[in-house]
Amino acid sequence: MDGYLITVLSNIGMISFVALSAYILLLSGQISFGQQAYFGIGAYTAGIATVMWQWPLAGALVLGALVASAAAGLVGLATLRLSGIYFAMATLAFAEIMRIAAELLVYRREIGGIETGPDGIDGFRDIRYFFANDVSPLQTCLIVYVLLGMVVAALFMAERTRAGRMLRQVGEDPLLAEVHGIDVMRVRMAAALVAGAVAGLGGGLYAHLMTYVEPKSFDIMLGVHALAYGLIGGLGTALGPLLGVLIDIGLLESTRIFRGYRMIVFGGLVAVLLIVRPRGLLDENAVGRIRHYLRRRGHAGD
Amino acid sequence: MLELQNLSKYFGGVRAVDSLSLKIEPGQIFGLIGPNGSGKSTTVNLITGLLGVTNGSIRLSGEEITRLPTHVRLSSGIARTFQNIRLFGQLTVWQNLWVAENSRAQRERTSFLARWLGGESGARARITKALEFSGLSHKANELAANLAFGEQRRLELARAMAAEPKLLLLDEPAAGMNAEEIGALDERIRQIRDSGITVLLIEHHMELIMAIADRIAVLNFGQKIAEGTPAEVQANPAVREAYLGTAETSTRGTA
Repeated sequence: MDGYLITVLSNIGMISFVALSAYILLLSGQISFGQQAYFGIGAYTAGIATVMWQWPLAGALVLGALVASAAAGLVGLATLRLSGIYFAMATLAFAEIMRIAAELLVYRREIGGIETGPDGIDGFRDIRYFFANDVSPLQTCLIVYVLLGMVVAALFMAERTRAGRMLRQVGEDPLLAEVHGIDVMRVRMAAALVAGAVAGLGGGLYAHLMTYVEPKSFDIMLGVHALAYGLIGGLGTALGPLLGVLIDIGLLESTRIFRGYRMIVFGGLVAVLLIVRPRGLLDENAVGRIRHYLRRRGHAGD
Repeated sequence: MLELQNLSKYFGGVRAVDSLSLKIEPGQIFGLIGPNGSGKSTTVNLITGLLGVTNGSIRLSGEEITRLPTHVRLSSGIARTFQNIRLFGQLTVWQNLWVAENSRAQRERTSFLARWLGGESGARARITKALEFSGLSHKANELAANLAFGEQRRLELARAMAAEPKLLLLDEPAAGMNAEEIGALDERIRQIRDSGITVLLIEHHMELIMAIADRIAVLNFGQKIAEGTPAEVQANPAVREAYLGTAETSTRGTA
């Protein structure tokens, strides 16, 4: 495989984590414009852990996810009682605060004779874990997809549990969910914690793949895209947001035809889909039909 | 079963419910009627906790529930349907019924975690039963949004029943139904009472409520103006006045 393809695939994989993070909150009925903040928190935390504390990668990624999740929990305490546009505004405000905080963050230390660490607006450079440990781009790409596969598999299994169903119920009609004995706030908090962890994990991978992270890497556009991926790809299954990423990065950004016009096509696509299929390409109806079809084929094959 | 004492709800200067006291005995079908805007739905929302009480108290089986959050209250044995149908449209019929299992689970176990990881034994059997009760077995995998109106009403009732409540609040279940469907509804509500569930029925359809209610209370401007058996209520001049404006022109109470 050539280097370009591997880079594109790795990018698709990493961005998928943010898309899934936004998707989880969309399922709980909340529109968050701030999931990029947890991506950033995960990136900085994991980077600091491997570079400055010399943690192994696995530990650093877990730490990144945990810190991001904890941050999401704190933000959730303050914002989850809001709904609709107010929640969107609050999450956006928090994400911007985090981005500006990252611009101010200076934490330099000398490691092996070289000064390193987050340096304010210049970001955090030389996160050379993969270089130092001789991991090839193909291998890093595999790491991304193995982790992504695990997250998607976990979400698929969660959909089949009572927890997953409660999440969709809360998302569709919180009042009705409450009338059926569901503690809406608790479900939303759980969703926020998981979503924060997923974004944080993606951020940790991002920092190590890119070898740097800067405040710009998690600006508002990342959050807007993350939301749009679910809305394009569909909210019926965890594969929906992945389809959204694939369409945006795989098709629009990485092919010659659309280059330069990406944002125009992307914006138009979002607008058209919101009118024609408000819950995306793979919405609940489509997923139901596919499932029905697969089941029937399964029976026919017996 | 359910006892309201001097229950009041003010919206600013509007007294939507004004010192309402009711006592509903177990095993009854208790009818709550009144002209539009008389506070019937507000009363249901107060009982279910969707609205906060201004004054007064609500007791369920002797237990004070006035200040409990909705989700706790509803899992302690109250179920309701809505005046305008409320279903999870993007979930299937089966999944809609599954929602009712939350209430059960909450009653039977205490730990949130245990419930999340908890098993689903028995749930299948109960849902299958609820599907049969509502005649929707063949539609189990349809999205609720794709059902016909009458089927949606049946599903809503089935969902409330699947929670196995002690008290069932029905907010205008006959709205939009034709005569035949109302006949079937009449039968179903009797079945529900005979299975030991207390029913609080809010209804505009006088024929239905006069036929099946054991006891009726009449609201007007948030206040109770009459209470008694259907015959007593029908004979009450205050009721006729509330519905028809004057006492003289009244024929039979068909509002």
